[in-house]
Amino acid sequence: MPELSYRDKNTVIHALSPLVKLAWGGGLVVLSLIFNHPVYILILFLSIIPLVWLAGVGREWASTLKFTLWLGLSIIVINALLSYHGDHVLLAAPFRLPVVGQPVITLEAIAFGAVMALKLAVIISVFTLINLTVHPDDIMAVLLKMRLPYKSVLVTSLSTRFVPCLVEDIGRISDGYRTRGVQLDAGGWLKKLRNRAKITIALLSNSLDRAVQVAEAMEARAFGSGKKKRVFYKDINISRMDAVTLGVGVLPLAAGIAVRVLGFGDYQYYPNLTSIGFGGWGWVMPAMMILLLAAILPLAFLKRRVELD
Amino acid sequence: MIRLRELSFTYNGAEKPALNNINLTIEDGQFVLITGASGGGKSTLCRVFNGLVPHFYGGRIGGKAEVQGMDILETPPRELATRVGMVFQDPENQLVTTDVEREIAFGLENLGYPKNLIARRIEEALDTAGIAHLRFARNNELSGGEKQKVAIASVLALHPEVLVLDEPTSELDPQSAEEVLRLLERLNDELGLTVILIEQRLDRVIHLVDRLLVMGNGQIIADGTPRKVMGGDSEGLGIGLPPVIRLMRKLQGKELSLNGLPLTVKDARLQLQKALKSVKTAEFADAGAGSKPVLNIDKVWFSYGERAVLRNINLEIERGGFVGIMGRNASGKTTLVKQFNGLLKPTRGKVRLDGADTRKSTAASLSQRVGYVFQNPNDHLFADTVEDEIAFSLRNRGAEEKQINKAVEEMLNEFELGRYRKSYPRNLSGGERQRVALASVLVGEPEVIVLDEPTRGTDYVLKKKLINYLDDYRRRGNTVIMVSHDVETIAECADRVVLLSEGRVVVEGSKREALSKALLFSPQINRLAQALSGYGVADTTLTVDEMLEQIG
Repeated sequence: MPELSYRDKNTVIHALSPLVKLAWGGGLVVLSLIFNHPVYILILFLSIIPLVWLAGVGREWASTLKFTLWLGLSIIVINALLSYHGDHVLLAAPFRLPVVGQPVITLEAIAFGAVMALKLAVIISVFTLINLTVHPDDIMAVLLKMRLPYKSVLVTSLSTRFVPCLVEDIGRISDGYRTRGVQLDAGGWLKKLRNRAKITIALLSNSLDRAVQVAEAMEARAFGSGKKKRVFYKDINISRMDAVTLGVGVLPLAAGIAVRVLGFGDYQYYPNLTSIGFGGWGWVMPAMMILLLAAILPLAFLKRRVELD
Repeated sequence: MIRLRELSFTYNGAEKPALNNINLTIEDGQFVLITGASGGGKSTLCRVFNGLVPHFYGGRIGGKAEVQGMDILETPPRELATRVGMVFQDPENQLVTTDVEREIAFGLENLGYPKNLIARRIEEALDTAGIAHLRFARNNELSGGEKQKVAIASVLALHPEVLVLDEPTSELDPQSAEEVLRLLERLNDELGLTVILIEQRLDRVIHLVDRLLVMGNGQIIADGTPRKVMGGDSEGLGIGLPPVIRLMRKLQGKELSLNGLPLTVKDARLQLQKALKSVKTAEFADAGAGSKPVLNIDKVWFSYGERAVLRNINLEIERGGFVGIMGRNASGKTTLVKQFNGLLKPTRGKVRLDGADTRKSTAASLSQRVGYVFQNPNDHLFADTVEDEIAFSLRNRGAEEKQINKAVEEMLNEFELGRYRKSYPRNLSGGERQRVALASVLVGEPEVIVLDEPTRGTDYVLKKKLINYLDDYRRRGNTVIMVSHDVETIAECADRVVLLSEGRVVVEGSKREALSKALLFSPQINRLAQALSGYGVADTTLTVDEMLEQIG
């Protein structure tokens, strides 16, 4: 599996301001939650693909998509097995259960599950894209720009930084137990649980040691020096160009909410699937969404041009 | 200038003072080396220089401490940061951001410097530390040596007048350690920075320093130029003299007229070339082929995912042997020894313990026969008291309580841990924790014992005890396998050496075949012997005693 962490690449998507990417991606996540219409969700999903392609992270995205596919399939299966709404019965069980009645699998439940899975794919893809193209420290800078307190942001970023160390620690501590004769994976669940708990204690103890060392190192480099206000060397500057792209980045969200409030983008799954057509001028709304979502692309190139000049 | 007057410090909850009546003056621009037994107060002393003691670590402090004219007892570390820079032992736990540039900027940002000044300082620091090519690298992708250089650069950016380093090379391989030390030499030489370095292995640094301080029991027990301290009565100091110095000290007592104590192989060579009169020819034979193999490693390949880490390894390890496993970092040493006790199983090929395939057993069941001591003692420690820690594996095996008590008692004596029997293992000092870890594994008397870098960062006295213990353990018919970068230790105690490179065995043979006439992996004495071979000294000489036999 390819590594899913940020890598510096010279692409137009990487060069976009992190604020723009976060706004655009955040918008997509919100829209995928408030829309129900399969066509709208599909548009959201498809709009990510050109960005993934331009950012050169197709391989990594594909690998998360594979994982999402399994997750999606299980959503479809579980929904089909547990939701008995819908008139088109594809399969009925030859028995009845108390309270719920006769278990059935309906076309509507499968369709609903499939759209849920697609929503999930949108959300996971957005996170993958952001994760791969926004430097973690830039996320921190954006949070600071939003006036979150520095210390909390720093603690968050520090704890993510030490996650790989923690994973290594778990491996080493488990090995330590094994070499002292403990069969970590043997015995009943109670014994396994107790063995795991022992690892947790050692892990906690290691982490506390680490915390003291990190604190010491920070203190030795003037952390919390109260004389002057802290400066952020790599602060995110918002250029005029960025302001424009930021506007464009937020636009799909704003327009999407408006579209939804006007009553578009809803869809009835139960008891019968309705037509996914829009009728009359209804197609104007999804078309507008496509345009707004895609507007980030020419702007990304334009920004590069402006910067190169 | 640093000036300490009658300084004493006791940590909260401790009975004994960590620093006891220290008087010390360090002039600007000196390169000072601090060494001594673990638990002797070195780290505490270093933390006084930038105020971490007493401001970060609470405790009782008495006396006076002044650095660059500032009263340490009144000034918090963050305000001393621009005067005294500090680099710590663990390369991982002192980096707080995700990439090199931001790491260097961190301290400057905290001080609220203007951005253009920060940019200039970053540039300078990158160049001074020689890591400009790493500017945009991510911290978690750096090697240990690179991380340490980034840590140094991030401190240099604050323009300190004093640089304090607490065992900065103890977790590095010899090549990276060498690079870090060379950087320190340059900072001291060219920029006139005062450098205060804690270090256990003197052979690497002794020729660089102006002054050697030895600490023990919270006091400075020796202070002077390296020649003076090491030429004097150094027996009681608990420091390990580099082999070449031990040799020359012994020769000084004899009729050879030597002029001052040489600190390097080169010094010794030049002096001996002039003074050498007669050489008794000697031949050093290796111990003959031993008994039957206890471990057979047969065409073993191992890979993590698609990356092959071991490539077709074939080895036989004899019962009762002492095998040293050497090689650069990431050459596959640890991966290889983890095959011996089943922590890892070969992807292809077979590892057999007394003829039985390890793939058929678990690491837990093999642990009775193959003991394994990790590099970091913390990975061994999970019990509440030292006693329980040592008893753990026996109890886990279901041994009788009487037998357990007897074995634990023996271990507590052997490793001088009696007075800590009720202590929480993780509260002990580094050296003590290492002893607990060793005891906890050796208590089960495994017939094969694997040690991964056991001498890293340990003081001389402990190292010597460990070597004696392992030698004795081996004589009882057990097999010892030691992964180490420490050529001198391997030269002293191993009988066979395996040198790995890129997952392959490049040299395998008696230690004399493997360690003599090599460039990087030769011990000091052998390098000297190679240079003197024209005078009749055997070029297979490895130890001080062997050398004395010929020229003493």
